[in-house]
Amino acid sequence: MYGLKYPSIKLLLLCSIFYLVGCSGSSHENGENTMDIEVHGKINAQLTSPPYVPDPIGSRPAKNVIVDMEILEQEGQMANGVSYIYWTFGGSVPGSFIRTRLGDEVEFTLKNHPNNKLPHNIDLHAVTGPGGGASSSFVAPGHEITFSFKTLNPGLYVYHCATAPVGMHIANGMYGLILVEPAGGLPKVDKEYYIMQGDFYTKGNNGEPGLQPFDMQKAIDEDADYVVFNGSTDALTGDNAITAEVGETIRLYVGNGGPNLASSFHVIGEIFDRVHVEGGKLINHNVQTTLIPPGGAAIVEFKVEAPGTFVLVDHAIFRAFNKGALGMLKVTGNENESVYSGTIQEGIYQPEGGSIQTMPGDQGAPEAPTAQSVSERIKLGKSIYARTCLACHQEEGQGIPSAFPPLAKSDYLNADVDRAIDIVLHGKTGEITVNGQKYNSVMTAQTLTDEQVANVLTYIYNSWGNSGVEVTPMMVTKRKSAH
Amino acid sequence: MNTNYLKNILSLIFLISLFACQTQVNSTEQYICPMKCEDHKTYDHPGTCPVCKMDLVKVSSLEAPILDEDGISEESIFNLQSEWKTQDNESIHLTDLKGKVLVVVMIYTSCEAACPRLVADMRNIYSKVDDPNVDYVLVSIDPEKDTPEKLKTYAQEEHLEGDQWILLQGKLDDVREFSNVLSMKYKKISPIDFSHTNIISVFDKQGVLQHQQEGLGVSNDKLVQKVKALSEE
Amino acid sequence: MSRLKYIFACFGLLAFSLTGYSQTPTGMQPIKGGTLIPLYGLDSGKVWVDDFLLDIYPVTNEQYLDFVKKYPEWKRANAKSIFADGNYLSEWQSDLQLGTHMNPKSPISNVSWFAAKAYCACQEKRLPSVDEWELAARASETKANAENDSSFNTRIIESYETPNTYSKTVGSTYKNFWGIYDMHGLVWEWTSDFNSVLISGESRQDGEADRNLFCAGAAISASNLRDYAAFMRYAFRGSIKANYNIKNLGFRCAKSK
Repeated sequence: MYGLKYPSIKLLLLCSIFYLVGCSGSSHENGENTMDIEVHGKINAQLTSPPYVPDPIGSRPAKNVIVDMEILEQEGQMANGVSYIYWTFGGSVPGSFIRTRLGDEVEFTLKNHPNNKLPHNIDLHAVTGPGGGASSSFVAPGHEITFSFKTLNPGLYVYHCATAPVGMHIANGMYGLILVEPAGGLPKVDKEYYIMQGDFYTKGNNGEPGLQPFDMQKAIDEDADYVVFNGSTDALTGDNAITAEVGETIRLYVGNGGPNLASSFHVIGEIFDRVHVEGGKLINHNVQTTLIPPGGAAIVEFKVEAPGTFVLVDHAIFRAFNKGALGMLKVTGNENESVYSGTIQEGIYQPEGGSIQTMPGDQGAPEAPTAQSVSERIKLGKSIYARTCLACHQEEGQGIPSAFPPLAKSDYLNADVDRAIDIVLHGKTGEITVNGQKYNSVMTAQTLTDEQVANVLTYIYNSWGNSGVEVTPMMVTKRKSAH
Repeated sequence: MNTNYLKNILSLIFLISLFACQTQVNSTEQYICPMKCEDHKTYDHPGTCPVCKMDLVKVSSLEAPILDEDGISEESIFNLQSEWKTQDNESIHLTDLKGKVLVVVMIYTSCEAACPRLVADMRNIYSKVDDPNVDYVLVSIDPEKDTPEKLKTYAQEEHLEGDQWILLQGKLDDVREFSNVLSMKYKKISPIDFSHTNIISVFDKQGVLQHQQEGLGVSNDKLVQKVKALSEE
Repeated sequence: MSRLKYIFACFGLLAFSLTGYSQTPTGMQPIKGGTLIPLYGLDSGKVWVDDFLLDIYPVTNEQYLDFVKKYPEWKRANAKSIFADGNYLSEWQSDLQLGTHMNPKSPISNVSWFAAKAYCACQEKRLPSVDEWELAARASETKANAENDSSFNTRIIESYETPNTYSKTVGSTYKNFWGIYDMHGLVWEWTSDFNSVLISGESRQDGEADRNLFCAGAAISASNLRDYAAFMRYAFRGSIKANYNIKNLGFRCAKSK
């Protein structure tokens, strides 16, 4: 009655079939037969949650690598005040990073937690065999399954759940990356990070608070409410930003789980020195934006020459500013004037009078509670700020030098409340001077209700040494009709 | 005598009310900590281990294989109570097959795609193993059509002759149950056809599943080796 | 198996009134037969389902406890591993005691197909077939067939995603057109022929299109690509084995008319 009594003969058999089929595709492009690489010894794979990656393989020989991965269906935070039931490989979105080398024989155990409601499996794009492992790894809640494969092609590969309805399993976060390093490993760099973009479809629109269920219709229509890095809007911002020192070389393993949207991956203020295009062998140099399709990946490498905060975006830019596809790389160290003078504009450029701005009231704005007092207004405003403004203007309203002006102790802000209301309502393009510094950037119009505009501005005016003005919805409505 | 009698009656009533619908009172069972915290110390009643607080388990449940009063392992297919008809129209229970290694496949006789290949594989295994202590069992997944007569004809057509070949017809429910023991899947997809997984299973002499070969056109070397080894045990 | 050990059966019957009946309401409702298009695997596309009776509620913890008391071969310690793996009634305190945190009126789970089948047989009932279950489950509050009601389907998908619904009390979801409760929203349910779902790539026989539920395979052979809830149910059925015991999997019984 206790313990495992049902021998998994069938499974072993499946694996061996799987293995045989694997053999047929073993010839490697450089003529070497990677199937013949011998393994020496056994190790347990180090698995890491994003944005971290396991240690490089270095010079180790091919080995038997034991991977033990648990599937968890759990509630997590998508954005401030917005939660979602994520389905995860290893408890994070994206799932745990798996690092192997060419010729490793991976013994993969997939465990489906007893509290989970659904069966799952895993399709590893690094696997050559039926379903990429999916057909051997189908596992019911409260059970585990083991299969094995040999890594035959170096590169960075996506893995994902492939259980029907496949789209829904992926949309709920079931993807991650597996790296197959060539013999001898990738060239050494100073910092490595793991980033994966995904699009999410929720019943409530972007920002609508509470536990939001998956919306099948929006997913089919490819109408994403959130496009985020590492599973939530704040996974790579604020305290969660990735970091580096000036002069360091950075390697980002960037994947795209999708399910629907291709990523135009870009780091504002950086040029990728090298990109392993599509995660494969081809290396391109001096790349500004690299395209990563759903179910694809890229390795990007660059050296950070100047201090500051570099913003990672999907350069399909509304996703960055309105749906959450923003991350940050904070680089500390000494200024290097010859590299970066501080006056070069970086970011999004739109011609004068940009037609990109959306007018508030065009669409049904999300419902929000009404503030009954100044303190309530500040409280509600804070969560709007976290959702809408924080990515650019930062947690303490300090902004990002040369890119996004500060709101803290801001002369520009405190000088004219009506102007501030107008900017939130209609956006702002063109050069302005704030606290003596020039900024020439673009802020898009925010789709907020009058109440929300009032709340967020009141929060801003009552924070970080600003003037303490209360902005009421009436004032906002008045400004609206003034145009 | 009277008091004893009364005591007995009272305790009987007490027992009955305690165990309500229970049909079995087993007083000889001994209980022990599964972690053996107190070595081999046993208790007369279930409870928790005073050391590690785990539930005590029956002493007998710790010994493998666990056999019931008929000497059948709890993993054995001989635990199935179902009754079957052979191609010779004899009624049998699965326990009647005890004592021989069993090679089992589920098919249906009107099947034209996979089953002929499965049956050919069975014949191939039969000639490779070449051992009278092994029985070859074909269970029909279409018992409504595969009557003993039909199975008899089929056996002749397919040259499945001799005592070692056993073709079985069961009740719909029992066939479904048997397929579940083999983790075999099937579905009726039209009045004449089924889709099904192709699995050949090997059971040891006690009816415990020891090996499964899945798929068509797979080498049967491993299976043959296993059957030979089990037969010698 | 020897029947001698059941000599106390008659005492059991006599004593039944002493313990009182289970408090969970029981009863069945008739379901009118009809045609059904299963998600997978029929040549003709349609199947006819006869009229049948179905339990109004899933079988509850306390009902199952009564069953185990009556049929000690289904006590946790006695259930044979060929019929139920190590998770059978794993949250119970002991053979005849529910777990302290368990709600007696929530659906029984962590029971195997063999156990569920035996339970129904002992009530002179049986497990419903996949087709019967699907026919009963496609009814919303007001319609016998709400397959094309997108808000109904959305509700079902949401309930499938919600965690820990196995601990809810039976009857806490909606009452459907047939007077049946909790077809969606508490637990998955065993069906008599759950293993008729041929997926997971096991079926590699030549010439069989009904390959699996993965990626393209699913899209090729399924009858309704938009029925995500059905995909989830069929995937679940395809992933389980008859001796599995799962926290989110219970059952209810049916009866032919």
